[in-house]
Amino acid sequence: MNQKFWQSEWFGPLLITVTAIVIVSSLNPSFLSPFNIQILLLAISVNAMIAFSQMIIIAIGQMNLSVGAIGGMAAISFGGMMEVWGIPWPIAAVLSLSIGLLAGIANGALCAYTGISAFVITLASLSIFKGINLGITEAQPFYDIPDTVKSLGNDTFLHPLPWLVLPAVAAAVLLWYLLFRLPLGRAILAVGGNEHAAALSGISVPRIVIVAHAISGLLAALAGIMLVGRLQIGQPTIGDDWLILSFAAPVIGGAILTGGHVSVAGTFLGVAIVAIITQVLVLFSIDPFLVQVVLGGLILWAVGINRYREVRAHRKIAAGAI
Amino acid sequence: MTEIFNAQGILKTFPGVKALEDVSVSLTRGSIHALLGENGAGKSTLIKVMTGVYRPDGGTMMLDGAEYEPQNTHDAIVKGIGVVHQERNLIPRFSIAENIFLEHLADQPLRRIDYPKLFQDAQRWLDLLEIDADPATPVDRLSVAKMQLVEIAKALSLNSKILMLDEPTASLTPHETDTLFGILRRLRDDGASLVFVSHKLEEVQEICDSVTVLRDGQNACESRRLDELGRQDIVRLMIGRSEMIPDWVARDRAEGQPVLELSNVSTKLGHKAVDLKVHKGEIVGLYGLVGAGRSELAKAVLGKFEITDGEVLVNGISAKINSVADAVGRYRIGYVSEDRKSEGLVLIHSVLENVGIPIWRRLSQFGGFLTNGTVRKHTVPFIQKLEVRTPSLEQQVGNLSGGNQQKISVAKWLAAEAQVLIIDEPSVGIDIKTKAYLHELIRELSDTGTAILLITSDMPEMIALADRIVVMNEYAVMGGFNNTRDYTEMSEGIMGLIQGDETAAA
Amino acid sequence: MGGPLRFLLSNEFGLIVLVLLFGILFSTLSPAFLSKFSLYALGRTSAVNIMIGFSMMVVIITGGLNLSVGAIGVGAAMFGGWLMQAFGMPWVPGVIGGLAMGAALGALNGVIIVRSGLHSFIITLATMSIFFGVMIYLTRAESYREISPAFTSYGRMKILGVISPLLLVTFAVAIMLSVLFRFTALGREMLVAGANARAAEISGIRVNRMITYCHMLSGILAGVAGLMLVSRTGAAIPSMAGQLGQDWLLPAFLGPVLGGTLLTGGRLSVLGTLLGSFLVTMLTTGLLLMQVGAFWIQTYLGLLLLAAVLIDLARRSYLERRKLL
Repeated sequence: MNQKFWQSEWFGPLLITVTAIVIVSSLNPSFLSPFNIQILLLAISVNAMIAFSQMIIIAIGQMNLSVGAIGGMAAISFGGMMEVWGIPWPIAAVLSLSIGLLAGIANGALCAYTGISAFVITLASLSIFKGINLGITEAQPFYDIPDTVKSLGNDTFLHPLPWLVLPAVAAAVLLWYLLFRLPLGRAILAVGGNEHAAALSGISVPRIVIVAHAISGLLAALAGIMLVGRLQIGQPTIGDDWLILSFAAPVIGGAILTGGHVSVAGTFLGVAIVAIITQVLVLFSIDPFLVQVVLGGLILWAVGINRYREVRAHRKIAAGAI
Repeated sequence: MTEIFNAQGILKTFPGVKALEDVSVSLTRGSIHALLGENGAGKSTLIKVMTGVYRPDGGTMMLDGAEYEPQNTHDAIVKGIGVVHQERNLIPRFSIAENIFLEHLADQPLRRIDYPKLFQDAQRWLDLLEIDADPATPVDRLSVAKMQLVEIAKALSLNSKILMLDEPTASLTPHETDTLFGILRRLRDDGASLVFVSHKLEEVQEICDSVTVLRDGQNACESRRLDELGRQDIVRLMIGRSEMIPDWVARDRAEGQPVLELSNVSTKLGHKAVDLKVHKGEIVGLYGLVGAGRSELAKAVLGKFEITDGEVLVNGISAKINSVADAVGRYRIGYVSEDRKSEGLVLIHSVLENVGIPIWRRLSQFGGFLTNGTVRKHTVPFIQKLEVRTPSLEQQVGNLSGGNQQKISVAKWLAAEAQVLIIDEPSVGIDIKTKAYLHELIRELSDTGTAILLITSDMPEMIALADRIVVMNEYAVMGGFNNTRDYTEMSEGIMGLIQGDETAAA
Repeated sequence: MGGPLRFLLSNEFGLIVLVLLFGILFSTLSPAFLSKFSLYALGRTSAVNIMIGFSMMVVIITGGLNLSVGAIGVGAAMFGGWLMQAFGMPWVPGVIGGLAMGAALGALNGVIIVRSGLHSFIITLATMSIFFGVMIYLTRAESYREISPAFTSYGRMKILGVISPLLLVTFAVAIMLSVLFRFTALGREMLVAGANARAAEISGIRVNRMITYCHMLSGILAGVAGLMLVSRTGAAIPSMAGQLGQDWLLPAFLGPVLGGTLLTGGRLSVLGTLLGSFLVTMLTTGLLLMQVGAFWIQTYLGLLLLAAVLIDLARRSYLERRKLL
């Protein structure tokens, strides 16, 4: 509002994204080839959903370790319903999304009504959901995925824009609208910013916590379903490697882990940065294992910057800025 | 004047304790009402009953002619009792406007927020309270004083019939306090009913019209007009006797080698060229208003904040203090914090554990081994000497009363044989009996040779205890003089120094 | 209140009762449960799980946590394995090297946390990724199989037919930890730093150093657990704690949480963690033995963790109401 755009937290990531694209494409022109852009966008679309799923929980100042487990459970439900029961894919998708939603509500209700830390609750539910996944699949994938789903998961509707971009963009816009224009979303951020004050103002904190976890579960399930389409297989391992990414993107985007402040655009750019780096490692045939190292490094760097920003702002106030 | 609120015969019991017994309060429109009482007198319980945190076990409350039975804190606000708490009840990253109208977030969760209108509505409140800020500014960029005004605006915007202010001046500068009082007076003249809760009697006398005093969970007086009461009367109502300054003789111990000496000390926090000496057996009182930089100076001496210029001498030798561990371990400088619960004690640990902390290292043998027996031997005498009332040494400190907690935080430094003890606001939140006891103890301690630097904003406490008074203002020492124990002379001298009147220094 | 009553209401006693109950249950349902081999395997597996629990416990006392226990454990084990394979080192220096690696990685966590002032959750989440990534990069995801035979023989040795030397190591470490936190100035200072950092600092404790020590100790204990696994399997395998070492997370938290270590810091129970981790291992072993769907084990463990925290909540509120706490 009275903040210049270059001071906002998404500006840094944007600068990095643009610079990275310029440098990488000048070194390797195939980076900006339509095919590569399509691959990049596919990765970004799914990962954005994963990141948003964590972001909404960071907004209330909690964490959700079970994002991957919910995604995995939804993914194998999706695959299983189509293969074993022959349910048409749209219905299977809706049912799997409901499973994610219910899982999220369960997480939220446990956090809200027991007062036990979200860390412990979601660690337990991570294990429960993952166990259900393994119990159902016995670690075997579902192979029989309808062609429509496979096509939606990989093909473009407008070259080089893949279908999967649509749900990702829709989720981003809706989340932004929710968090910055609707009372419900403001209440979510208010609970993260100062739970006590929110409660005094008549906001039902338990309800908000449940809503946030429900959204998180829904988004995680959506990510899982999208991945089934993209991988063309209902893998039980879907979700196993989401944890780091789910935190990396929001914190790169400037989210404060104690709650009350997240940026949708920033998170999206965080996802883009991670995707570009992964691509670069592949393009220049650098060891892909280093992706983990880079991701970890990015988290450290981002939380360091955010922390510095906070400390500096604090000093300014102490010095009597306003 | 018409009555707006009335509580009759309020009873509130907790297992084993009658927190409130037959307490009555009556508030009128267009007045500022003081609610007073020592800690533990039932003041905060009464506030909690009025604001819906607790349900009373007996008695009735009437608000604006109707029965008032709040179901929860939010319900109390809806029914018209607003509170401005000590702790900030704002959402840091939200704009001023959104904070003022936070209540509206709950009603229609999915209806788009009309920000231009919100800012416009907020501007009205800002104008009314003379807050000079854009309603779109996030509140975490405001000064504490402005945040408080935003909280008042928030409470007023809900059409509060009664506005309760819980220690509103605790973190304000004198100037900000004046501004706040101006606004409160205007609100009163417009017909508002305000409840003012404060420990500062001067402020109460300055701004309030009537007063209710609680003592031991009962009314010591109910809604009396303040202009009938003098300061001594109020104190007598609060503590059941008049405020007493014990007739100790002032001593002159400012001789010989100072145990602690600050020479031309400047710090990163902004202290400028501070000189200060504390001698063996001497109590030096460091007086200053909140925000004068006293606790910060103490912590700089302890090595918590960096000293940029000048030096600290202990027994005449320049001390190298890089951390609190150095100050405690090498130079035996102890610090009794004003913030007992978060800085003075480890509430979830036992009495024995707490008292022993600074000496564990010293007592350990064979490369760090330590037994409870050894710790007991070196701490129990002090726990006994201070008459700490605890069921056992294994009792969690968090379960003890404020007075006993304070005794433990002092006992810790007695056990550590501190040669310099910095005591910061020792009597905040403890009952009057323990306070008197602590005062005797501090005197006794100085008689055994401990050099004591006493930081307090409590003028009677300062004049009762100190041998010499040093006045600080805005991170600098304004001057000092020997304590003659004449209340009027001393308080005038102190105020003179704070206002920069050099000639007042004797 | 009296000592015996207090013990009867304690977590530890509850765990002992549960261990006995499940022990009786399993041995009646499946006689094989009490066979020498089964008991031996149970002891050996719990030795590792208890150690993983300890590794998390010593960080939980700072009010923080260490998500990178698995990554450090594997990193330390791989480093030890590399020393033994690449240089043909005898097992003692190899193990010392591995533990030193664990200590270094843990200390690094501690230093970053203390210096940045950020919560250990996000820092160790990042370092978990970094440590594991670097380890995989350096080892090319290959195992070290030429481990000193003397070392691996301990992993298979049976004392009196049922006791694994690994279990003895765990008991020794448990005793050392008890002594550390009860009878040394250092251990007590670590606890105080975890309980209330500000009060600890004002009392002259070097809080940052203590927190770093806690993380370093966590790294060492994770290293011990990793090296125990090497001794048991006869090889240092990069995937022995799963992707990023995540497989250790659940056992790491189960032990301390079941054992009554306060997640907000400042209080711990070595015996509780030991019993908690043992109970978890026993349940896993018992369920596997009874062939109740091996794939569902993780679900049961998750439910156990949930049940444990909920029961603890109920127990606390009961004690509070009865004014027994």
